[in-house]
Amino acid sequence: MIRWLAIAALCSVGAPLVDFHNVAREAGLTDSFPNGGAQSKQYILETTGSGAAFLDYDNDGLLDIFLVSGPGGSNRLYHNLGNGKFADVTKQMGLEHTGWGQGVCAGDYDNDGYTDLFVTYWGGNVLYRNLAGHGFEDVTAKAHLQQDRVRYNTGCAFLDYNNDGHLDLFVANYLKFDFASTPKPGENAYCWYRGLPVACGPRGLPFDRNILYRNNGDGTFTDVSEASGIARPSRNYALGVLTGDFNGDGLTDIYVACDQTPSILYINRGDGTFADEAVMRGTAFDDSGKALSGMGATAADYDGDGWPDIFRSNFSDERETLYHNRGKGEFDDATLAAGMALNTRFVGWGCGFFDFDNDGWKDLLLVNGHVFPEVDRLGIDVRYRDRAVLYHNTGKGKFVDISESAGPGILERHAARGAAFGDYDNDGAMEVLVNNQNEPPSLLKQSGKPAGNWVLLKLVGVKSNRSAIGARVRVAAGGLVQSDEVRSGGSYLSQNDLRLHFGLGLARRIERIEIDWPSGVHQVEKDLSVNRVITIRER
Amino acid sequence: MRVISAVLLLAAVAALGQENPLQQGIAAFHRGDYGSALTSLEKAPDGAARRVFLALTRAAMGQCDAAQPELAEQFDKNTDSDLRRLAGLALAQCRLAAGRYDEALPVVTRLKALYPADADVLYQAARLHMKAWNDTLFEMFQKVPGSYRVNQVSAEIFEIQERYPEAAAEYRKAIAKNPAALNLHFRLGRVLLLESHAPESLALARREFEAELALNPGDAVAEYEVGQILLTSQQPAEAMKHFERAAALSPDFPEALEAIAKARMDAKQYAEAIALLERVVRLEPTSEPAHYSLMLAYRNAGRPADAAREQAALDKLRQAPEGEFTDFLKRLGEKAPKP
Repeated sequence: MIRWLAIAALCSVGAPLVDFHNVAREAGLTDSFPNGGAQSKQYILETTGSGAAFLDYDNDGLLDIFLVSGPGGSNRLYHNLGNGKFADVTKQMGLEHTGWGQGVCAGDYDNDGYTDLFVTYWGGNVLYRNLAGHGFEDVTAKAHLQQDRVRYNTGCAFLDYNNDGHLDLFVANYLKFDFASTPKPGENAYCWYRGLPVACGPRGLPFDRNILYRNNGDGTFTDVSEASGIARPSRNYALGVLTGDFNGDGLTDIYVACDQTPSILYINRGDGTFADEAVMRGTAFDDSGKALSGMGATAADYDGDGWPDIFRSNFSDERETLYHNRGKGEFDDATLAAGMALNTRFVGWGCGFFDFDNDGWKDLLLVNGHVFPEVDRLGIDVRYRDRAVLYHNTGKGKFVDISESAGPGILERHAARGAAFGDYDNDGAMEVLVNNQNEPPSLLKQSGKPAGNWVLLKLVGVKSNRSAIGARVRVAAGGLVQSDEVRSGGSYLSQNDLRLHFGLGLARRIERIEIDWPSGVHQVEKDLSVNRVITIRER
Repeated sequence: MRVISAVLLLAAVAALGQENPLQQGIAAFHRGDYGSALTSLEKAPDGAARRVFLALTRAAMGQCDAAQPELAEQFDKNTDSDLRRLAGLALAQCRLAAGRYDEALPVVTRLKALYPADADVLYQAARLHMKAWNDTLFEMFQKVPGSYRVNQVSAEIFEIQERYPEAAAEYRKAIAKNPAALNLHFRLGRVLLLESHAPESLALARREFEAELALNPGDAVAEYEVGQILLTSQQPAEAMKHFERAAALSPDFPEALEAIAKARMDAKQYAEAIALLERVVRLEPTSEPAHYSLMLAYRNAGRPADAAREQAALDKLRQAPEGEFTDFLKRLGEKAPKP
């Protein structure tokens, strides 16, 4: 009987039973995360923070939580107690830090088996080395990551761009900002929104450029931004960072969602250099050749053709953008065709493909909230605090917006920014952690368990970097072949679970798992059981 | 240049001595003390400088009737660019203040031709047109308050102010008064799309565009708008019929041709898409969307050299206007270069 019910649920296309609740309070996530003005904002700096992370810092098999804060509070680390609750361990773990915190990304940069943290700031970034799960040490200076001037650092990601087994680090920079020289609301043409004086920018504020640090393999990094070509694009307001092998050449490329300017797709040329090929590859603009206000970005093979596609969240009065990879890293704008053209009132930030109903097709959630609190004075349908949008993937290249029937957690209104995706209780149902400006975070969890089977893959690199970042995986089960990649960073200034989650529908066995490790090793695992976490070590 | 002339003039005046009434008058004029300027300039011996500054002073004091003949002559004949500009601006101001817009228009037109990037000149031009617009509207509201045109123009003003619900209400009133008037349904449809982001507004707007088409079956733009709504609503085949009709009604309608070309691209009919987009680029050589779409069409058709050429054209069009981001701004915050 139960099996028949499961089959019925899996077969009901377009209207899966889903009921997301915000369980942050019950989980112990009650601290508010300040981020500039809540009623009005004077500067653009108040609008962009901050990120969220799921990571297992103590290797106990349970995802912990890290949230980035603006000034007036500290970033916080919460330890997963295993009973659905989290305990604040910020102080004891040495992570108290104040400032204009922006993004977070995770990766084991020193290959000691423990996941390290990198936090970006307007100001100076911080690299935290994980001390065997017992604490974190600020090793920024020791690692040669101190910056020579104040920078507006935003998205970040660890990646092994030269496949040498050591994680390198990419940091996006939004623009050049200082309080003294930035005009105040209403002071020039770039400081108005629909007749309201608002925080100025990004237009009218000076550009900055992005940064690539090469890991020297001895605990230090070298800034290779100029030599690698990463510094070359210099007219972009860079925010969200997404890494991946988009053209299938075994090398990690970098996509950067840019605000009001063309987004960047750094293609890795394999000789230590990158070239921005976003325009020709079709990921810089919308389908009319217009640069949108890109915020966050996420990737998945949403249509099962074996190639990673890209989704980017944008500003209100713009469509979200879904770029379909037509093979080898050439993209078409598939927003209209996929049914994502209707949500134009939201300013989108954190976003992620995740299979919430475990039917084998990656769905998509994006969290929203306007940049200007002042917008509420207009009395229009664009709001400072707004709900999330949940799209269900029909499996036919199309998405259906099911937000209104997806539970109160989706409909709660927040000025949401970063969003991280992961399964913190290892039950096979994915949860979402959201950093809300000047409020406690949201922790979105389904009230029931999805009917489909699942697997969580924890990859451990040996010759490759220990976090397996950059490893590409194909899972064949129940007649479907799904693919994904281990990524640091992503969404909007956030870090997802480094483990890969696959919904498997009715499949009772996994026929085959293929892994292409960054080292070049191709590994195949066969005939595996489902509904569990599987750790796969590089052979 | 202007500063140099003014300095030379002041220097020349200074040479005449501290007690010279011409010098005193010009100095008072520059400080904005028009009463003293008038007294001094009236005492000064006659000459070109006295005449022009006396006229400017009188204009500044609102004595336009006395000033205008001289201002007109100075604007017409003075060879000093600065004085000519000042005389023209004062003359335009006098005529505007008197509500003599027909006479102000040729002055402002000539000022714009002589000083095309002058903020004061452009400001006077804007004032002239705005004042003429306001006065005509006032007349309209007074003389034909019940006309649908009053509602139409009210709606257009609300649109400019981004007050879309009010604009829609006025368009509806106009339609009620004159159901056969063209363009009202179209404008209402457009406002409905701007008023709300809700998916339901698409159906409401579509109804208005279709009502426009019922009145005027030859309206290619309304056809195109219906096509766009259908495309957004996941009905590409239906949308295509409207784009094709729009293109048939108006064969050089770039947006319609582009929409058809995109559908051809989706169907992998690259040769047809390219032919259409090449035509669009010929029609609108400065259109970024056209170059972008053509670039992608070449790319998808496996013509990389042509695609690269289109990208170069697009890059050129996308270059920021000079002055938008100065070198100073770009360099702000960078380290000082090391020797």
